[in-house]
Amino acid sequence: MSVGALPLAVTFEAFTDIGFWSGVLVVAGIYAVVTLGLQLNVGFTGIVNFGQAGFMAVGGYSMAILVLEAGLSFWLALPIAVLVTMGFGLLIGLPSLRLRGDYFAIVTLAMAEVVRLVAQNARDLTGGNKGLYCEFEGVNQTCFDDAWRSVSDSMLGFFESFWSDPEPLLPLLIVIWVTVVLGVVALTYLQGTPWGRVLRAVREDEDATRALGKNTLLYKLQSLMISALLGALAGFFLALFLATIHPDDYEPIVTFFAFGVLILGGLANYKGVVVGAILLWTLLEGTRFVELPISEEKTAALRFAIVGAVLIGLMAFRPQGLFGKREEMVLGD
Amino acid sequence: MKDFFDARPALVAFGVLGLIALALVVAEGLHDVAQASLNGLTLGTIYALGAVGLTLVYGILRLVNFAHGDFLAFGAYIAYLVNVTWGLPLAAAIVVAMAATALLGLASERLMWGPMREKGAGWLQLLLMTIGLAFVIRSAIQWFWGNEIRTLDVNVTDSVEFLGLRIGQTELMVVVVGIAVLVGVGLVVRFSLLGKRMRALSDSLALAETAGIDTKRVILYTWLFAGALAGLAGVLSGALTNLRPELGFELLLPIFAAVILGGIGNPFGALSAGLVLGVVIELSTLVVEPRWKLTFGFLALIIALVIRPQGIFGQARAA
Amino acid sequence: MTEPAGQAQGAPLLRVEGVVKRFGGIHAVDGAGFEVAAGSMTALIGPNGAGKTTLFNAITGFARADRGSVRFSGEEVLNLPAYAIARRGMVRTFQITKALEAMPVIDNMMLAAPDQLGERFRNLVFHPRAVRRREREVQAQAMEVLEFFHLAEHADAYAGTLSGGQRKLLELARALMTEPQLLLLDEPMAGINPSLGRRLLEYLQRLRAERGTTILYVEHDMEVVMNHSDLVVVMAEGRTIATGEPQAVREDPAVIDAYLGGAA
Repeated sequence: MSVGALPLAVTFEAFTDIGFWSGVLVVAGIYAVVTLGLQLNVGFTGIVNFGQAGFMAVGGYSMAILVLEAGLSFWLALPIAVLVTMGFGLLIGLPSLRLRGDYFAIVTLAMAEVVRLVAQNARDLTGGNKGLYCEFEGVNQTCFDDAWRSVSDSMLGFFESFWSDPEPLLPLLIVIWVTVVLGVVALTYLQGTPWGRVLRAVREDEDATRALGKNTLLYKLQSLMISALLGALAGFFLALFLATIHPDDYEPIVTFFAFGVLILGGLANYKGVVVGAILLWTLLEGTRFVELPISEEKTAALRFAIVGAVLIGLMAFRPQGLFGKREEMVLGD
Repeated sequence: MKDFFDARPALVAFGVLGLIALALVVAEGLHDVAQASLNGLTLGTIYALGAVGLTLVYGILRLVNFAHGDFLAFGAYIAYLVNVTWGLPLAAAIVVAMAATALLGLASERLMWGPMREKGAGWLQLLLMTIGLAFVIRSAIQWFWGNEIRTLDVNVTDSVEFLGLRIGQTELMVVVVGIAVLVGVGLVVRFSLLGKRMRALSDSLALAETAGIDTKRVILYTWLFAGALAGLAGVLSGALTNLRPELGFELLLPIFAAVILGGIGNPFGALSAGLVLGVVIELSTLVVEPRWKLTFGFLALIIALVIRPQGIFGQARAA
Repeated sequence: MTEPAGQAQGAPLLRVEGVVKRFGGIHAVDGAGFEVAAGSMTALIGPNGAGKTTLFNAITGFARADRGSVRFSGEEVLNLPAYAIARRGMVRTFQITKALEAMPVIDNMMLAAPDQLGERFRNLVFHPRAVRRREREVQAQAMEVLEFFHLAEHADAYAGTLSGGQRKLLELARALMTEPQLLLLDEPMAGINPSLGRRLLEYLQRLRAERGTTILYVEHDMEVVMNHSDLVVVMAEGRTIATGEPQAVREDPAVIDAYLGGAA
């Protein structure tokens, strides 16, 4: 099951279905997290990173493998998986960040695909096309989200005191969106620092920045590693939401959708990412409510058409998106 | 040592490949290597056909066309329409598919890339638009033909044997048609006026303009050329395997690999690199399990980009 | 910053020897060499295609030299990364002004200041107060330099909104923020009107007098070169064909030949 398909009703009554909209907001939140990293890379450092899906995969898989196969506690696996993903970012950044912009884009896309293909084919490690969820040892079953489930259940138990039938996705929704808000705050703060200033200068003109004594490769690496961190977090959230880790969920389409969110919100601003994510996913899921006598297959096709149209339309008529500034639209030279 | 490599990259690359092939022959036997090479040639012709058009567009217009894979898919599905739905012979399907995809390429240039270039759009802006176009094409395919796997009306059982090697009838057709077209393409690019002009534009668009070449017209012809080849590649791929909406994207990265390995803007490089890549990917199945072959291909792309971004045949210009 | 550290008295601040840079079959720079004394103003001239900018790029780390030696303050810096060379005190400007246009003028300036704690991620986390303090210092210093160039009133404007001449001044001002020992200017007079050009030269002379900044510049304007240089280095076809005082160089037959003869 890919991120594109939310298993929910296609009727008009569902329009007010809280469960449905919670699902939409969860996915929007996941995209917001991953796109915050993309914004840092593209909008503020000028590096066109097409590998976010790869970072999500490395994060998600590392976490699941650590819990299921190394027997680590979920809470320990999380930070280690983040470090693994950042290490991966360092590994791919070192040789490739000195390449020209479009080459870097292609390399990162290829890297993400390599990750996905390894996940698909290294069956012993990653469960291959079956994916990862639970390991069975006789009667005992460990699932990678066991620890999360108990936290989520206690949170739900708490909500029950004032809401008789709380939405089961609520805890995840809260955690995701708290992360988004913290991410926006932290990244916005960073932009105003001297460090952030160097990043913007790198985006503006890397040669001029080097001529002023700045080691631009280092900054680009740091930017990439932070976006790897955010990618890993998004990967965790996705895994918890889908209750599975499967290679199909980390296809390049995820990266392309993230770019859609990025340019819809506009380059060089983090709040735009939030708005873009919510808007795009509401739009995509909203197709479920239009009473069209079409099959689910065609609905999926429609989804592609919408994102495609958004990408084309924005680039042609409003490249700065909703909140970007036209002057800042130095999208490639 | 590095200087030698820089001066004669093609020689070194082929030398290395030759050594690897030799090692494989020793390890696995001539028959297996030859069989894998033959399979690789089949795959490689499809990559080469896709790559030649893409490299010209990339080289002349600096357009990173992520929709190119879906141009292939478009060709394949048009062929399905003609061959299966209308019941016409495959040859007719190929012709129609090539024409249709050529027009698709032309339309994209007139409606999208041309106007965007006039507006001064940068490469990322255009790249994102190509992604949008890829989505639109793919959604159209999914809309009309759904997700189910379809096949063209080709012979998948009969095979031919020669020199102790076995090749399916359809595979043989793919190789023959593919290589024939590639040879034709090579001749056109090398000797025809259009070919020379395309190469001139690929070297330097600005210079070509000052030299008085009607660049707009050459660009249009290039798109027709690229589209037609993509359409053919798509049909052949569909004949070889099957038709599914993801076909486009699956072929995209290997084709890009061929473009980059061959040196962006170099049609001969793309052609050779496509063939070599196909053979390398198939040869890898002798060493690793078959399901890893695509991963292998991508790793080759990454390594090549990192070691020599201008490709095996490209000039050492500022990367 | 008037005394170059770690260098013998009387030794040149910059010594370039036998630098070679090939592009394919063409030798853009074919064994160029010269010396620059501390505190001096040296002009690098030559006909078009002589290899001046390529040599500039090779010296400052923006092009990889195939051979040669570049000693700055006694230290060999050939083929070091550009940022490392800039950090050692050798700072360049570009022929086509690289003012960071989508950033405010003041940001352009503050970016250039050396020793900024806030540029290191670790310091943001562990030493936020020190970072803020240094930011204030840098800002004050930036405003001072902007005043020197009469650009202070534009501090908050986007650099892209300045006129071409103002952007050139900004690039120079920004280079100064790095507290360079050697300033390399690639065609500083290009594209600016004469009165602004005069002002620029005044600034450069003041820099030399007040801070002892050494200046090496590429230039085509002969009047400027004759009146504003202690030493002139002439390049043609990738080689240095003459070095000396302006008057001497002007009368050098090899130089005359290079400009008027087939070399151009």
